[in-house]
Amino acid sequence: MTRTALAPTPVEAVYACGPVRLAVVFDDANWRDALHGLLSQYDAPWPTPEVVVSVAIERATAPSENREPAGAYLRSYRLRVDRHGSRLLSRSRVGVWMEFDLAGRTARITVPFHSDWPELVEEVEQQLVLLLARSWSQAGWTPLHAASLIPPGEKRCVLLCAPSGTGKTTLTTAFLRRGWRTLGDDKTLLRAEAEGVVAGALAQRFHLHPSASRWFPEAGNLARFPPYSRWTDKRIVRIADVWSDRLLERASPAGLLHVERVESGMSFEPLDRLKTLNTLLRQVAIPTDPEHARPLVSCIAQTAAKLNSARLNIGHEAFTDPATMERLDECLRSLLP
Amino acid sequence: MPPQSDHCRWRLRPDVVATVLNDGAVILDLRTKFFFSANPTAWSILQMFETGATPAEVLELGQKWGANGDTPAINRLIEQIIAEGLVEPVEAPAGAALAIPMIAWVAPELCKHHEPLQRIMVSAFDPGMPLAE
Repeated sequence: MTRTALAPTPVEAVYACGPVRLAVVFDDANWRDALHGLLSQYDAPWPTPEVVVSVAIERATAPSENREPAGAYLRSYRLRVDRHGSRLLSRSRVGVWMEFDLAGRTARITVPFHSDWPELVEEVEQQLVLLLARSWSQAGWTPLHAASLIPPGEKRCVLLCAPSGTGKTTLTTAFLRRGWRTLGDDKTLLRAEAEGVVAGALAQRFHLHPSASRWFPEAGNLARFPPYSRWTDKRIVRIADVWSDRLLERASPAGLLHVERVESGMSFEPLDRLKTLNTLLRQVAIPTDPEHARPLVSCIAQTAAKLNSARLNIGHEAFTDPATMERLDECLRSLLP
Repeated sequence: MPPQSDHCRWRLRPDVVATVLNDGAVILDLRTKFFFSANPTAWSILQMFETGATPAEVLELGQKWGANGDTPAINRLIEQIIAEGLVEPVEAPAGAALAIPMIAWVAPELCKHHEPLQRIMVSAFDPGMPLAE
């Protein structure tokens, strides 16, 4: 991540977010401070930016045009997004608007006057996530919500897919201790290239709650790490600071593990092709617009076709049992024959 | 008998996207968010509907592919495609047909996954529902 303060007012900053460079003009320093955690997290090294996007974030009343997005392009819990030609128009629940000119690669986020500051910040963050996801896609990459594990000496990875809170980070760190490597946290980019699909790192840090210290004694007291944002207790833990030589920037997806959390024990069963595809498609936010959906679906289908896959049901305490970890290590290696 | 009218022309809906793989294709209906896996025969038949085709035309091409005894299988697939709403009727006359390569005939299979993809996402990056922590 690079962030360069260029001028005090309005506050400007540039963020390297994988293949996208984001030039942001904030209305004031409060906005910069509130959004820095989100925008600075994509800290994986990237050779050169492939797409540059300019965005202005400003306090203002809603745009005069009265076209409330219906969510025809994409709907999330906070956003309704429509596409009008080369523009995306997005409105959040409390009235944060974003107009993103896809062709001009410029965006304007308009924040209404509202008493609930944390709510506003969350909704501006969601607009920025939309902007980044679309920009990564425009740069030819498919954003995938999945973690990754690479055995020692390998360049092939196993993708870890699970809902947030299921233990992808715990599983990843458990294997980092065993010498495996990773691309980073659970934000990965995929691209179909002539030689096959490539997975690229986006963020080489974990966001961990201090209570997770019991799982990672080598990290020491997690409370000593800087907070991710003022809205959560989670701390920014740079992977290289705790687990050195465990990061890769690129890997070839060859396996997939669908992780489910159970009360105790561990079971491992192969997934058929349709279930593999189902698991992977569910990790990508696919808009309903055919032109924008097609490259994402194509990349995921090509990736899924090459994967050996399994479902892992794993209990809370499994990572502390050496015998279970040994068995799990064998299971993961079996996905990379 | 073929489903519907032999001469009713059907075309793949524009918001049905397909990705071709070595052994068939993946089809995603962006309206319903259901997805399908098509074997090479089913994909060849689906391709006929890209520019518009009648059931009679599909059956005729099936015969050329060597589907002599498999007419019921072709009819079942056409019925499935229509029932799933992957195609819509079109008024236009027959256009230039796509050049679909000759295939080694096997019964067409279009497998539908039982659960649609998420219609409402958590975010534009993470579509899934988080667990309560």
